[in-house]
Amino acid sequence: MKARNVGIIFRKELTDTLRDRRTLISSILLPILLFPLLMGGVIGLSILFIKRAEQQTAPVMLLGAENAPELVRQIRAIENVEVVPPASDYVQKINDKKIQAAVEFAPGLEANIEQHPDQPQSITVYWYEGELRSRKTLQRIQKAVREYREEIVKARLVARKLSAADAKPFEFEQKNVAAAEKVTGNILGFILPYFVIILCLTGAMYPAMDLTAGEKERGTMETIIASPATRGEIVFGKFLLVLLSSVVTTALSILSFAVTVIVGGGILGRFTKEFVIQVSARSTATVFVMVLPLAVAFSAALMAIALIARNYREAQGYIAPLMFVVILPAMGSFIPGIELNATLAMVPILNVSLLAKEVFAGQYPWKMIGLIFAWTCVYAAAALWFAVRQFKREEIIFRT
Amino acid sequence: MIEAQKLCKEFQDKKRGKIRAVEQVSFRCLPGQIYGLLGANGAGKTTTLRMLATILKPTGGTALVGGFDVVKEPEKVRAHVGFLSTATALYGRLTAQEMVEYFGRLYGLDNSTLKRRIDEVFGRLGMDEFRDRRCDKLSTGMKQKVSIARTLVHDPPVMIFDEPTLGLDVMTARTIVGFIRECRQQGKTVIFSTHVMSEVEKLCDTIGIIHNGKLLAEGTLEELRHRYQQPDLEEVFVHVVEAAA
Repeated sequence: MKARNVGIIFRKELTDTLRDRRTLISSILLPILLFPLLMGGVIGLSILFIKRAEQQTAPVMLLGAENAPELVRQIRAIENVEVVPPASDYVQKINDKKIQAAVEFAPGLEANIEQHPDQPQSITVYWYEGELRSRKTLQRIQKAVREYREEIVKARLVARKLSAADAKPFEFEQKNVAAAEKVTGNILGFILPYFVIILCLTGAMYPAMDLTAGEKERGTMETIIASPATRGEIVFGKFLLVLLSSVVTTALSILSFAVTVIVGGGILGRFTKEFVIQVSARSTATVFVMVLPLAVAFSAALMAIALIARNYREAQGYIAPLMFVVILPAMGSFIPGIELNATLAMVPILNVSLLAKEVFAGQYPWKMIGLIFAWTCVYAAAALWFAVRQFKREEIIFRT
Repeated sequence: MIEAQKLCKEFQDKKRGKIRAVEQVSFRCLPGQIYGLLGANGAGKTTTLRMLATILKPTGGTALVGGFDVVKEPEKVRAHVGFLSTATALYGRLTAQEMVEYFGRLYGLDNSTLKRRIDEVFGRLGMDEFRDRRCDKLSTGMKQKVSIARTLVHDPPVMIFDEPTLGLDVMTARTIVGFIRECRQQGKTVIFSTHVMSEVEKLCDTIGIIHNGKLLAEGTLEELRHRYQQPDLEEVFVHVVEAAA
């Protein structure tokens, strides 16, 4: 195999690809925009909707208001709560989102609290679970009711000459000992490996189809195989471009993620000290190196499969099921409790997903890293061999 | 020179089983001559030429092309051949010059030789005005010229044309025919396949009639007419094919 020919083919494919809008969008634009849009979009929209829910006036129905005049006064005083006249179809009205909640006071509630302190009384709040405005309204009502109850408890303690400590003999505290970045590392470790693996695949997908099935469709496959370049040289020249696209997509997505984390972390840091998003350069670099052989395997396998197709569209049909084959093991990091071991280290994609999860959580099991890297290299070599073999098969090349 | 020696090609078809596309085909094509492979669709012309261009591997026999064996030295064969067919399209996103340069480099030309050859070929084919235009923006005639430039850039001694005028308008087809004649004048070995009788009559020094993968008859136009006692090539062709049926 002549390196010169591989280089010539690679350079031509690079020029060709840089002029292809479809590949540029999937390999460069998508990875740059994905994380900022995802994180910024989701967080931004959530904040927007929460703020709107807090600011909007919530209609609330009070059932049996005459039983709790003091509590009703306190509920009426809640900001952005509007009391509407009671009606028997309050459940329907909540479901129709015409009112956000209804509060039902038991008959003689406040009189009973006063006169029969040993008998428990009840207040029921009806609300719409899963509806943000209804939840916010519930929380406001809960706060008012809690304050009202605390006032009563306080009065009863004073009447019996007891202190606040008598009602609350001990505190029950929970303290997290993990560093803030490890906590966020754990959270990121669930999500990030999946995205990195999927982007590594999608980055290779479009050029792999374009350079194989696309060439067949455009009738240039016969042109290139009639040149003095060997099939091996053609495969490697094309493969290098597909690999470059995959690596650039992955690198850009990681970079874009890091920038999003730094900027987003800064914004979040203003609101809370507990949730610090931090990803170290070391963990990012380790994951990137681990993903490299995976990119090789994806690039070669995608080329080998897409080559079977007669045209671009047919290639998409062959590649789509492959997405599921990759998505399932890539989601390994989502499953809590799976521990990496020598057997799982052999399972392609899942091994990298699980390892990336550990690395983002600050764990570096070097033996396992070596083992997984070696296995992924074996799969990458097998995929490359398969791709070269496919290019040498006349029934595949001339399947038009 | 091209020398086919009992060339065979079998394909495996899922429905029809083993198919013999080319069976024991032998012929010789000399430098400065045009050999025309005449046959109906599916006769085995394309398969034969693809084997000569080493795009397909023979399942039996071999051929010497430009002094190299198609089975043992396929890369050397391809380096000494210019192959043009309707299936050899252009890269739409490359300009005419980039397209020819790409193949020139793959043929091993250094930068100065490549520049000289491109200027020469582009000048001869009148391609200078569209050398920087992308191939997908070119007319059919311009595209054919780029394809010709691609096959000529390394000045190969052997030219293989597989139905080069198929689907082309009269003017573009004339350009191709003229170009094939020029190749002969330059002393190149030329083989071309077609099912257009008039092209064969106008161009070929030797004619081979191929049918069902077998070379049924071979000779100059005069020899064939005389041998089969027919007034023109079309009648010769029909006579030969019907006799074989």
